[in-house]
Amino acid sequence: MDFKTLLNEKEFIILDGAMGTMLQAKGLKMGETPEALNIEKPNWLYDIHKQYVEAGADIIYANTFGANRHKLVKCGYSVEKTVSEAIKIARRAVEDTDTLVALDIGPIGQLLEPTGTLTFEEAYDVFKELVIAGKDADVIVFETMTDLYELKAAVLAAKENSSLPIICTMTFEENMRTFTGCDISAMCLTLEGLGVDAVGVNCSLGPKELYPVVEKICRWTKLPVVVKPNAGLPDPVTNEYNCSPEEFSEFAEKLIPLGIKVIGGCCGTNPDYIRELKKMLSDKKYVKREVTVPAACCCATNTVVVDQPRIIGERINPTGKKRFKEALIAGDIDYILGQAIEQIHAGADILDVNVGLPSIDEKAMMCRAVKALQGVADVPLQLDSTIPEVMEAALRVYNGKPIVNSVNAEEKSLETILPLVKKYGAAVVGLTLDEEGIPKTADKRFELAKKILDRALSYGIRKEDVYIDCLTLTASAEQENVMETVKAVERVKKELGLKTVLGVSNISFGLPNRELVSHNFLMMCLTKGLDLPIINPNIDAMTGTVRSYKLLTNIDKNSVDYIAHYGNSDGSAPVKKEAKKDFDLPYAIENGLKHEGAELTAKLLENTDPMVIINEMLVPALDKAGDEFEKGKLFLPQLIQTAGVAQACFEVIKQHILASGEKSVSKGKIILATVKGDIHDIGKNIVKVLLENYGYDVIDLGKDVDYQTVVDAAIENDVHLVGLSALMTTTLISMENTIKLLRENNVDCKIMVGGAVVTPEYAEQIGADFYSKDAKQSVDIARQVFGN
Amino acid sequence: MKLEKLNQSEALRYMGYGKSAPDEKIQGMLDECEKNLLAVIKPNYIYKLFDIERGDNEIIICGTTLTLKGGDICAHLDGCEKCVLFAATLSAGADMLIRKLEASDMTKAVMTDFLASAAVEQVCDYVDELVKNELTAYNQTWRFSPGYGDLPIDVQRDFLTVLDAQRRIGLNATENNILTPRKSVTAIIGLSENEISRGRRGCAACNMRDVCQYRKRGEHCGF
Repeated sequence: MDFKTLLNEKEFIILDGAMGTMLQAKGLKMGETPEALNIEKPNWLYDIHKQYVEAGADIIYANTFGANRHKLVKCGYSVEKTVSEAIKIARRAVEDTDTLVALDIGPIGQLLEPTGTLTFEEAYDVFKELVIAGKDADVIVFETMTDLYELKAAVLAAKENSSLPIICTMTFEENMRTFTGCDISAMCLTLEGLGVDAVGVNCSLGPKELYPVVEKICRWTKLPVVVKPNAGLPDPVTNEYNCSPEEFSEFAEKLIPLGIKVIGGCCGTNPDYIRELKKMLSDKKYVKREVTVPAACCCATNTVVVDQPRIIGERINPTGKKRFKEALIAGDIDYILGQAIEQIHAGADILDVNVGLPSIDEKAMMCRAVKALQGVADVPLQLDSTIPEVMEAALRVYNGKPIVNSVNAEEKSLETILPLVKKYGAAVVGLTLDEEGIPKTADKRFELAKKILDRALSYGIRKEDVYIDCLTLTASAEQENVMETVKAVERVKKELGLKTVLGVSNISFGLPNRELVSHNFLMMCLTKGLDLPIINPNIDAMTGTVRSYKLLTNIDKNSVDYIAHYGNSDGSAPVKKEAKKDFDLPYAIENGLKHEGAELTAKLLENTDPMVIINEMLVPALDKAGDEFEKGKLFLPQLIQTAGVAQACFEVIKQHILASGEKSVSKGKIILATVKGDIHDIGKNIVKVLLENYGYDVIDLGKDVDYQTVVDAAIENDVHLVGLSALMTTTLISMENTIKLLRENNVDCKIMVGGAVVTPEYAEQIGADFYSKDAKQSVDIARQVFGN
Repeated sequence: MKLEKLNQSEALRYMGYGKSAPDEKIQGMLDECEKNLLAVIKPNYIYKLFDIERGDNEIIICGTTLTLKGGDICAHLDGCEKCVLFAATLSAGADMLIRKLEASDMTKAVMTDFLASAAVEQVCDYVDELVKNELTAYNQTWRFSPGYGDLPIDVQRDFLTVLDAQRRIGLNATENNILTPRKSVTAIIGLSENEISRGRRGCAACNMRDVCQYRKRGEHCGF
């Protein structure tokens, strides 16, 4: 018997009930490692398994839920030993029956980055070790998961190190999300994409409360649906569950019409619950679901269904942008994050991410950017690279179901990209071009679209996941072919029934008043069926075109979205405010007027040297604010606010300098890091903003930074001032170790330290050169070190 | 539970506003930050009641593998026959919002961070009240957290395991025993059927006393 046969032959598959509840009844203390019992009390486990087999379970979960290397540290047994013993015991308990044994794997017990410190790659290794140790099971179960990212690492580890079927269940709250905010549709889209065998929910709530959760899961996947609820809800004081075996089975019965296939019990259940389930199910029939999962992509917290035009923001791309290139070379992730958030605020539903630059390690940068972006942006990403290795690396670390940009009709492209799309369960942009370039006519492009679709289908990619790009040509160069694109969009949409995507902005290249041409072209395409315009959402005319299209086509019912965006204006486009003439740059800085500060800076640059602006206006204004902060006249939020304005001014100066090709205005390079083990980095970030505004180049290594990383970065960038931050007494030792390593390696740098728990005495004791009590003082130290 | 309003004055105090009121602009930003934070947090808590026994300079939590070591926790639970272990969190939404703001508006990021710190204290106060109302037969001590005084913070993970906090409220700790999601608290409340002597609360029991920003300014964190 195997899992797939079970699925085919049985109306319902019955799982076992709780393990922890049963072990506690046998005498397991709270806080003890249950998996240690595999070695210390194998008979307890044998007995529990046997009871569940006799109660009617078709699959029992071996006692391996927390048998990962992190959780086993406490009891000292190896993963290999603990897991293989668990499987052996379970195997003995199912002897002479058709019952299967599952390798049961729960969460690692530490949150992944960015909220926690565990990396995706470390999580993968933890799961890989478990999967290999549990090779003698019949099926792998990942359960009680709350983080889709951790679950993705788990599924990849299982797929790449085993051929066993995979069941995944996550834990949802009454708000239909997991503790980390993962949405049901995101779970279903991502896991079905990754090719698991069954998906569902366990733990969380009782069978009654889980009804809406199960209902939604059943709508979002074609896979068999698994439900393993708790025995109701726990009493806060006694921790006893409120649902009897009979009630449990009664509520479970109501889930059958939704189309569930696999059912068992979680916390608080015991063999009586499983027996009742078995009895109840004995005369029931599985209800086959007719599900059409729509075209959609997602991040963990947000699913974007392509059932109406959705804006893909194009700004994360260095092509033709000097400032962006500079940020990539400097590894300035914050710049990219800023671009992301600006586009989301402007109305982007999805963000394209392209970080290709010949002079950088694109693969490393792509992974870094994707990880950082998904930590702050709650929209799906469209991964954009021409290099397959970069694409695969990005697909791996992406949390959710992304869009791949792109494949084209060239044989080589189809062969390399489509297998990646299939393996990682992405959607894909298909460009209608091949070895001979972009066809002139709509008909030929339509043919290429069909070719791409057929090949995608042959790889097992869903039709809904193929988005065709009929390619925009520049009107100023190929005016006679503009309408071919529009026609092709229409045919692909109507005749192939595929979603369409199009980079719009190119249309107006080389023409005056580009916005006018671009947004009209956009409207033409939308009316012919364009679903995913790739545009600059920061240009109001473009975003506004999509909004008005949705209003006019009755998609935006009662104009709700439209009014929400424009309701406060008089109907005309927002008028750009002229910088007021009655105040100057220092005034703007002191009063936190970011926008005005930037505009004034731009004006000043027309006839003032950048260094004059910095030294005679920005720095004195910041000094004044710093001074008042020290005197207690100004408070922290105001200090940061002035720094924020100065930052905006600095950004304008940087752009200006880049455009003019002059040398940059760095007063010195400084490394900042929150030390190993510490994740409180807001203080360090305040210091960073301030230092940057005094003209220093800050290399921000982030939080939880390895000692060696600091040393390497200091040597590689020839840095002479390193700032270290720690906020926990327990991580002060990391500060000391980092300094030690810097000294051992004879790095020629001064070190300043700060953070809530650091004292001047301690700073001296661990060999720091400076103690910085706040952000303001770090600037004074920098001035002293660099003599400026 | 749901928080309807956040304790702005507490957040302002964290930001260094002693008795001064914020200006209009800062107040406006604070209101906006509060609204946005309230929209993304999902406060969650769990608590359990235990009998305690006294060991050699340690408290044994009965029925568990957990022992709380050190003179300060022993003093804190002096005269108590039971204790409540609890954990509270704003959940991951606050972390995400603060990260997002750090990339776009540092002033709001800092304000939101402080507001979130105030918010998690509000959740703790709520649990405190709940315990009081549930267990009316007992007097209770104030909240004592791992890392206070000489109670080692490395008890954190066992503490969470005993409460099954990961499964029940999504609360974890890193290798270095930092709670994640970040805006979270674990604490111990002592319970006694007899009167509990007051006055142990304060700077003397606090391991931040040497570096405390409030103390430096001649203020008090309110503890």
